[in-house]
Amino acid sequence: MPTAALPAEGHLLIVGAGLAGYHTARGVRANGHTGPITIFGEETRPAYDRPALSKAYLTGAVAEEDLLLDDPEDPLDVTWVSGVGVVSLSGNPEGTETLGVHTADGRFHPGDAVVITTGASALSLPVASSEQGISARPYVLRNMEDALALRETSLQGLAVAVVGGGFLALEAAATCTERGAGSVTVAAGEQLPGARRLGTAVGEAILSAHQAHGVQFAPPARAQAVRSCTRGHEVILAAGETITADVVICAIGAKPRTEWLLDSAVQLTSGHGAVMCDDTGATCIPGVYAAGDCAQWASHSSGLRPVGHWQEAVEEAAVVAAALTGADPVPLQEPYFWSDQFDLRIQGAGRIHLADEVTVVDGTPQEGNLLVHYARGGQNLGILGINRLRDVTRWRKQRRIRPAQLHSPAAEHPMTVGSHPTAAETAPTAA
Amino acid sequence: MSFKACSLQDLTPGEGLRIDSVSPPIAIFLTEEGTVHAIDDTCTHQDASLAAGWVEDCRVECPLHESTFSLRTGAVDQPPAKKGVRVHTVELDGDDVLVELSQDAPNLPPGVKI
Ligand SMILES: Cc1cc2nc3c(=O)[nH]c(=O)nc-3n(C[C@H](O)[C@H](O)[C@H](O)COP(=O)(O)OP(=O)(O)OC[C@H]3O[C@@H](n4cnc5c(N)ncnc54)[C@H](O)[C@@H]3O)c2cc1C
Ligand code: FES
Repeated sequence: MPTAALPAEGHLLIVGAGLAGYHTARGVRANGHTGPITIFGEETRPAYDRPALSKAYLTGAVAEEDLLLDDPEDPLDVTWVSGVGVVSLSGNPEGTETLGVHTADGRFHPGDAVVITTGASALSLPVASSEQGISARPYVLRNMEDALALRETSLQGLAVAVVGGGFLALEAAATCTERGAGSVTVAAGEQLPGARRLGTAVGEAILSAHQAHGVQFAPPARAQAVRSCTRGHEVILAAGETITADVVICAIGAKPRTEWLLDSAVQLTSGHGAVMCDDTGATCIPGVYAAGDCAQWASHSSGLRPVGHWQEAVEEAAVVAAALTGADPVPLQEPYFWSDQFDLRIQGAGRIHLADEVTVVDGTPQEGNLLVHYARGGQNLGILGINRLRDVTRWRKQRRIRPAQLHSPAAEHPMTVGSHPTAAETAPTAA
Repeated sequence: MSFKACSLQDLTPGEGLRIDSVSPPIAIFLTEEGTVHAIDDTCTHQDASLAAGWVEDCRVECPLHESTFSLRTGAVDQPPAKKGVRVHTVELDGDDVLVELSQDAPNLPPGVKI
C-alpha cells in the first residue's frame, strides 16, 4: 500500500464544488477517510453535473434537481461552503507556510491537504459594440446560470448564431433547433464540423444530420468578434462576412479557472494556465493536488490524454482520492467522450488525436450508424461510433486496464479476473 | 403472468438483448456463467439501453457512463445513476425464456416517459 498523503483524521479542503470535487470527496470517503472534508463552491447552487446544460436541461426536459451530484438519499458526509469563492492558496514547496485557503469573505481555512478542482470558464468572442448603451454579451454555456439564461429566452422564430465547431456548439445548435428557433447558423470554422479532429466521414455525418434539421453552416472562416446594435447582433468572420442574428451563443472553448492561483506557489502551464501535476494529481506543493478541467497532468502534455471531458474528471478524482488515502492507485482507462445531437449519439474513445489513419469500419455518414477506427503506423488507437453503443463499449472494455479493487463491487460479487469475452467469442445480436 | 420474451438461441453469452414489445423495454442477459436475467433496459441516469452494456461478474455497466447494475438485484453501484433498475423474474421452459414483469414502478431517467 502506498503511503497516504492525508492522515485518516486530517482535514481535507476541496476547492471547486463540481464534478471532480464531488468525486474526490466521494472517493476519499469510500477509501475510509474519517476526518473532516470541506468543499468550497463559488456558486450558490448545490453541486451539479454539467453535460445536460447543452442538452436536456436547455430544452427543459430535465430540471435542476435532476442534475445534482450528491444523492439526497445517501448524502456525502462533507461540509459544503457555498456561494463564496476561494481567492488564494497558502502553502509552499518547502512546507514552511501553513497549508490552507483564503475565501472572498476574508476568512482563512487551514487544512491538511488541498485539492484544486475549479474547472474552467467559457471563452467568448470580443464584443465590438456599435451603438451606445447596448450591452451584447453573447450567451455561453458553462454554468447552470448561463444555461438558465438561455433556457428562459424564447427562441421561437428567432435567428440564432452559434459560434464554435466543437461538440458543445453543435449540441447547442441542435437544442435551439428543437426549441423552435427560426433559423440556426453555426460558424464552425471548417467546412465539415469536427472533421479536422475526427476525420471526414464523421464531419459528413454531423453535417448531414444537422442539415436534415435545417441547421445552416457559415463559410469556414474564423469568427472574430460580435457587434451589437438595437436591431440585433452580427458575428464578424475573418473573411469579412457577417452573420446577423437575434441570439448569439459562443461555444469556442474554455480556460482553466486558475486566476486565483497566480500569486501562489503552484506552477501553471504557460499556454492555458492549467495547474501542473504529475500523474497522481500532485502539484509541486506537498499536500496540494488538482484534478479535472483546471489541471494538466504529466501525461496530457506528452499527448497521451485529452483535456476537458467528463470521464477524465471522474477518473482523475479517483486517482487523487487514492493518493490522499494511500489506497492502491487506480489505473486510468482510455480517454472517452460522448455527445448527443438530434438523433445522433456520438461516442469516441482512445487516443484519437494521435491517429493518422481513419478507416470507416461500418455504416455510412448519412445513415446515423457510422463506426470509425483510428490508427497510427497500423496500430489501432481509437474508435468512434454514432449510435453504436455496443461496439464502442466493447472496444473500451477490452482495452481497459482492470480497475483496482477500490472500484469493484467486491462486497456483492467478488471480482474474477479474465472472465470477459473476447471479440472473437461474441457475435452481434439484435439490439 | 409471464410471457415468452425470447428464445435461448436469441441470446449471446456476455451480452444483452433488448425486448421492446413491452413498455418500458426490458433487457435479457445470458452471462458467461450461463445464467439468464431480465432487468429494465433503460438506465436510470439517462436514456441509454443497458442491453448494449458490458456484462461482467453478474453486473451490467451502462454503455454511456460509469454506473453498473446488478443483474440479480438491480442495485446500482456508483454515480452518475442514483437509482437501481427493476429486476424481472425469469423462468426457462426448454429454450423459451419466460419473463414475469415486476409490479414495482420503474425508475425511468428524468425526461423519459413511457
Ligand atoms: C455545457 C457543457 C456540456 C458538456 N457536455 C459534455 C459531454 O457531453 N460529454 C463529456 O464528456 N463532457 C462534457 N462536458 C465536460 C464536463 O462537464 C467537464 O469536463 C466537467 O464538468 C469537469 O469537471 P470539473 O470538476 O473539472 O469542473 P466543473 O464541473 O466546472 O466544476 C468546477 C467548479 O468549481 C467552481 N469554482 C471555480 N473557481 C472557484 C473558486 N475560486 N472558488 C470556489 N469555487 C470555484 C465552479 O463554480 C464550478 O462549480 C460538458 C461541459 C459543459 C460545460
Ligand atoms: S446513462 Fe447510464 S450511467 Fe448515464
